[in-house]
Amino acid sequence: MAAVLKQVLAWMPFFFGIGFIAPLTAQLMQLWEIPAPFGLSPIAFGLVFGGTWGLIANIRGRWL
Amino acid sequence: MSENDLLLRTGADTETTVPASDRPAMPLGPDGLDRYTRRDLRKEEIAIARQFHGGTMWPYAVAAFGCFAVWLSFFPLAIMGMLNLPLAFVLSCFFCVGGYVTSHEAMHSNIGQPGSKTRWLNEAVGAVSTIPIVFPFSMARLMHLEHHYHCNDPLKDPDYTDEAPNMWAAWYKTWYNRQPGVDGSIHHYKRILAEMGTPAARRALVETMILQLVFMGTLFTMAWNGYAIEAALIWWLPRHIGLSYIRFFLSWAPHHPREGKTGRYENTNIFKSRVGHILSMGMQYHLIHHLYPGIPNHRTKEAYYALKPILKARGVDVSPL
Repeated sequence: MAAVLKQVLAWMPFFFGIGFIAPLTAQLMQLWEIPAPFGLSPIAFGLVFGGTWGLIANIRGRWL
Repeated sequence: MSENDLLLRTGADTETTVPASDRPAMPLGPDGLDRYTRRDLRKEEIAIARQFHGGTMWPYAVAAFGCFAVWLSFFPLAIMGMLNLPLAFVLSCFFCVGGYVTSHEAMHSNIGQPGSKTRWLNEAVGAVSTIPIVFPFSMARLMHLEHHYHCNDPLKDPDYTDEAPNMWAAWYKTWYNRQPGVDGSIHHYKRILAEMGTPAARRALVETMILQLVFMGTLFTMAWNGYAIEAALIWWLPRHIGLSYIRFFLSWAPHHPREGKTGRYENTNIFKSRVGHILSMGMQYHLIHHLYPGIPNHRTKEAYYALKPILKARGVDVSPL
């Protein structure tokens, strides 16, 4: 159990990217009426954006 | 009769009887005081400090529970669409910062000593106060007491990672230290707790993990149900702003520069804050807290002015205030 939780926490930036940044991006785009590129829906764009950013943060160890 | 004549004994040579320098009769410390003077100053210091210990502590408990309850109410109110989000955001930032102040009193058992009637209140205040910044009280207390025991020790002071050459670098570092791959702030704390390996340290690590999972679970659940902006403005962003503010005013500002400053009267500074006494949470007088952690935060200013002549005699730079 502890080992599983440690793994979850180790991948937390990626999970945070898809779990929080993705819907936050989509909802901000809708609020500010910004269309998603390439014909994507706001949430699909949010998932690509948040997932990629979270993965990069996971690998690099930095969000910026 | 000249001074030399008075000093000379009959028949003695001037070079052997007149001292070449004004070397003191007994060794003096680095502060230029002999141990008898230091002891007398210390006695006087303790007598004055004793007057400022204790006092009315219930407002800390009222503030802690009141602010926590209001902050908690923001979540259902946001979901029901009954919340003024900009106002809730500002208040949440305030609760994140203020919560550390109330928990800080609990860390030093100032609300209730072990074995006293109000001990439960002390522990309850500590437990609720740091939830908004996702920093369990068990970890906060252990790490803060380590900071007091080993203040400014590069290896043993858990807060040493906050050190930075100037104010702007310090603000940057408050954010940098929270990055997932950086051994700073909470990541540094987790490593120290793992090294400690005591039951209390293990409990603190487990509670940290649980609180972090609750935090993430709440954010994810709210976000995927259409309340991401609300979650960001009530918890995620205020936590980051609060942590940076706390790190800057409670750790960097009163202890900079840390290098080599480990002595009782030199490990903490008296400084003049640009934002004043209240907004800097009384940290201008943080030296008093390090000398006497039993003096509550709201009395450190008063205690400082009472102790100022003694601190000056001990070599503390009291010129800022």
